[in-house]
Amino acid sequence: MSDFVEQCRREWRRLDVPDPLADEMAADLASDLGEAEAEGVSAEELLGSSAFDPRSFAASWAAERGIIPVPPRRANARRRPLVLVAFTAVAAIALIVAALLLLTGEPRVSVVASRTTPPHLLSPPPAFFGPPGASRQVLVQTSASTPVEWILLLLAIVALGFAAWLWSRWGRSRPPSVAA
Amino acid sequence: MALGTQRRTELLRGVLDLCLLAVMDEGPAYGYEMTKRLRDRGLAIVGEGSIYPLLGRLERDGLVETYRAASNGGPPRKYYRPSSAGRLALALGVSEWRAARDAVDTVLATVKVEVVS
Repeated sequence: MSDFVEQCRREWRRLDVPDPLADEMAADLASDLGEAEAEGVSAEELLGSSAFDPRSFAASWAAERGIIPVPPRRANARRRPLVLVAFTAVAAIALIVAALLLLTGEPRVSVVASRTTPPHLLSPPPAFFGPPGASRQVLVQTSASTPVEWILLLLAIVALGFAAWLWSRWGRSRPPSVAA
Repeated sequence: MALGTQRRTELLRGVLDLCLLAVMDEGPAYGYEMTKRLRDRGLAIVGEGSIYPLLGRLERDGLVETYRAASNGGPPRKYYRPSSAGRLALALGVSEWRAARDAVDTVLATVKVEVVS
């Protein structure tokens, strides 16, 4: 069984297509692909651009047969770009901010922690810290390789990569078409 | 996709089901066999998709009947042929197609095309 047919089988299994129907479609597809190959016809000539997207092809076939519900593509097609555009914009802004923070040179981000120190740990208690048990601020100055900026940069890169992956997946499947 | 190919694709998208019903009305056929019959008449699958989802829709809508039989020495194949509802849909669809084609021809008949070599 060709790799294309095997990927279709996996998609049908994921979509809970009953085994007898999946077996039937896989057998028909494998026979047709085999005959086409023997006659020198490529899978692309037989399947169009679906030859490069077995998951969408398998889902579309099963949906059109009424085996699985047809996904509401049109509603998603309008909503998803807006969400994707916003997500991509936020990721890009985060990347720019992180890059600017790193390029400025001087560490500008500090971590401030507030804590209450038990009296027995203050030995000897510095006079300017005030009475034992009082709340005080501990300022931790970050080093030159400020972790906050690097974390922001890393998150922005990961987010942009995820956005690129989402864009590549969006709007793949369409109805079948032919040309003279 | 080139502009000419894209236009042909758009034009034929709405009548591919009629083309499939027409070629299987000549005699029962399995998927690849229908593709060959279309190709012999100058129609090749391009762009997105293929005939398989469309055959699935015709089957779901009761416009085709199917049965399994051995092909020429090969494995058993699923053959398609138009049902009575499919033949009616084909007749109506062909009538609509011819009316639309004639109307478009009438509009475009006044256009003078000059081919500059």
